[in-house]
Amino acid sequence: MSDSLNRFLAFWRHFSGAKVINLALIIAGLLGAWALISGSIDNPGRYLPSPLAVAASSVDMLYKGLLPSYFGDTISRLVIGSLIGLGLGIPFGLLLGLNRTVSDIFFPIMNFFQSVSGIAIFPIVVIWWGNSDKTVLAVILYTCFFPVAFNVLSGVREVPLRYIHSAYTLGASKFQVIRDVLAPGALPHIATGSRLGIGFASRAVIADEMLAGREGLGWMIFTGQDADMTSQVILGMLMIGLTWIVLDHYLLRPLEADTIERWGLVHR
Amino acid sequence: MTAKLIVQGLSHHYPDEYTGVSVHALEDINLEVNDGEFVAVVGPSGCGKTTLLNILAGLLPYRHGTATVDSKIIDGPGPDRGVVFQEHAILPWRTVAGNIGHGLELQKVSRQERRDRVAEFIEMVGLVGFEDSYPHELSGGMKQRCAVARTLCADPEIMSMDEPFAAVDAQTRITLQEELIRIAIATKKTILFITHAVDEAAFLGDRCFVFSRRPGRLRETVQINIPREERNWQDIAANPEFVRARDRILSLVREEVVADE
Repeated sequence: MSDSLNRFLAFWRHFSGAKVINLALIIAGLLGAWALISGSIDNPGRYLPSPLAVAASSVDMLYKGLLPSYFGDTISRLVIGSLIGLGLGIPFGLLLGLNRTVSDIFFPIMNFFQSVSGIAIFPIVVIWWGNSDKTVLAVILYTCFFPVAFNVLSGVREVPLRYIHSAYTLGASKFQVIRDVLAPGALPHIATGSRLGIGFASRAVIADEMLAGREGLGWMIFTGQDADMTSQVILGMLMIGLTWIVLDHYLLRPLEADTIERWGLVHR
Repeated sequence: MTAKLIVQGLSHHYPDEYTGVSVHALEDINLEVNDGEFVAVVGPSGCGKTTLLNILAGLLPYRHGTATVDSKIIDGPGPDRGVVFQEHAILPWRTVAGNIGHGLELQKVSRQERRDRVAEFIEMVGLVGFEDSYPHELSGGMKQRCAVARTLCADPEIMSMDEPFAAVDAQTRITLQEELIRIAIATKKTILFITHAVDEAAFLGDRCFVFSRRPGRLRETVQINIPREERNWQDIAANPEFVRARDRILSLVREEVVADE
């Protein structure tokens, strides 16, 4: 049975070739299952609206201009917060990693803050700055900074000593060692840290918008629940997931393929 | 001949990384290496060979004794003392050409001159066609050739090598040893070659320093009077001078190993 199924699948793959078709099939399957479940329950409009209903609601929100506006708000917060987080976290991690004593002192401190999530510090930031865009941005920045800095720091500590020695014996200065050895050597960890940092930030931005009541996708989900508009809630969830996939596929993955995979530092 | 490297009264202790017990690595080392000379350093494992290399490279601070290159006291690493490390230290994120030209890049040599010099060394170590390859795409022998070219291209006054051929297969090792002789002829560099292989030391060295077991002392210097042009494995095995030198080094090393047991 499974043998003939495999043969059919192999034939199908040979026939269809491209990965795109497989992906389309999986998505179609998921949508079908979703529609099936939605069609078999009572009051789907409240509990699980069909894919079509969600699509209709997205058309409606696009038409009113709400979706682009919410999406833009969330993305701009995420981009600004993450960029500052990466821009500070990467050099900070590299500098700390340069000196063994300094890095030994900071390692547990970074580890501590890395585990205190952005949501946990949200209330105190609200006490300082109120429910403002500044608060939301600060929490996103915080959320992004620590996993980035922590990972970069551990990455620098793992760069083999012989690479550093080799550069010094060729006459490298401290700055040249950072630029030519530590930064590229820590790149697998910089990539991991960035992925975690942006990933955490994209979760934080949703929660912050809900808590602070700032407009955006998080706010859209939150008000959707309040107004009993389940399709709006699902639409918000879909937008978040899709944004991350697009970001990862078109930005992070190609960067990794051109660097750490090309150099043989990681294998896929 | 003038002495390139002079080491006088060098002793070194260091605390063991795990136990903290003081390790007496080197005891009163006195030696000279002449300009253009190829010197092999042999001794049982743990005799302080690598400690000596790290001190000469400036990677390990020392307190007792002096070490000079061209009359300059060694104090920290510098481009005048190139090192080929035990495990090749070519950077995985740089291509072959990028690795070989790294030293010149650090010294801010112009792009044009760098390209010419890199091409010259790529040719010398037989890596033509692999300029744009990354290290993970090379065989073990090619990586080691790249490492040698990386060190030499920066034009050091002296090149130290720490058991550079220990990790490659026997066939490749023979080829690399013969190539190194050819490179020594072509570049006239002063080379300090650390090894535990007696054959290798007798094949490569103009002289061979035999070290005692820990604490490392310079036990004896064995002279090997064979012109570089005659150093290939086909001819040398029957050369009485090679056989004499090899047997002498071997008996010295074996005394040290036996005394250890």
